[in-house]
Amino acid sequence: MKTFVVVPAYNEEKTVQNVLEDLLKMGFDFVVVDDGSSDDTNKIVTRIIKEKQQGLLCKHLLNRGLGAAIKTGIEAALAQGADIIVTFDADGQHDPNDINTVIMPIIKKEADVAVGKRNFKEMPSSKKYGNQIMNFITLIFYGIRVNDSQSGLRAFNRKAAQSIIINARDYGVSSEIIGEVKRHQLKLEEVPMKTIYTDYTMKKGTNLYEGLKILTKLILNIFK
Amino acid sequence: MLMLYQVIAIFLGIVAIILSILRFRDGKMSLGMLLAWIIIWLVVIVVALDPTLTNYLAIYTGLGRGLDFVLILGLLLSFYMIFKMYNKIETVEEELTDLVRELAIQRKTMGIDEYKDPEEDNAEKDQT
Repeated sequence: MKTFVVVPAYNEEKTVQNVLEDLLKMGFDFVVVDDGSSDDTNKIVTRIIKEKQQGLLCKHLLNRGLGAAIKTGIEAALAQGADIIVTFDADGQHDPNDINTVIMPIIKKEADVAVGKRNFKEMPSSKKYGNQIMNFITLIFYGIRVNDSQSGLRAFNRKAAQSIIINARDYGVSSEIIGEVKRHQLKLEEVPMKTIYTDYTMKKGTNLYEGLKILTKLILNIFK
Repeated sequence: MLMLYQVIAIFLGIVAIILSILRFRDGKMSLGMLLAWIIIWLVVIVVALDPTLTNYLAIYTGLGRGLDFVLILGLLLSFYMIFKMYNKIETVEEELTDLVRELAIQRKTMGIDEYKDPEEDNAEKDQT
């Protein structure tokens, strides 16, 4: 089974090298999507690819957001003939060992999509409320209750990756993917995973502000 | 005797119509949009020339005063335009994203994004 790890990266020069080296050590092939970074992310990734003769880089000429980057990565991985596609954040918040946990249900054919769920008890409260609101929003708008709708670590089998249609360009993509899982009646499994909270990872991702932004967007989409 | 607001409205209307025609000539506006804008601004000019005209419309629609009718119509039209514009921008953003994605995947397969070491570049230059 060919597994590809999709790593969306926007200005992650501080962390992307460690993340990719960890992935290569564990024997995973990767697709980095540089979402129009203005720092050295692109340079660092190309150097690693050249040195190790492994991995792919797709460069967005303009910054188009997390959702757009994930979609590009999935398309590139599908074109490479991937059987399993994993999405993995480039900011170093995920433990690479969790990839094996999250692809296990796919390998065993117990699920089409597996999502790593963070432990909300360990989550700093500034993030916890934002994420709880997002879980609630996902329930209202997509009618599916999950423990962690905003998780960045996900695994898809080929069938799921092909059928899921991503339209959201920003952080709303996480909820949309969950919604697509329901729409296509794919089997979803949530597996517990570790999250590494550093000062760096704390600044990114879903906080209250992002949550409200996504909510506004979802409401606007109703009127479209 | 024209009041100041009438002069301003007429002046604005004429300028707007001229700008629309210029944009149309440059190919930046479609014929349909040009006609729509000309009609809108002509209405503004006509109403400015004879504000009492709106009274008939106000009575006809049951809104009472002519000014109320103009204001409500203006507001509704503005909201509609904002809505149209929002949708249009959203479509453009989507198309832009698709374009960026297509380019990213094509550049990768064509090897355009191969990293070149600045030092290697210099070495190549030295040889030539």
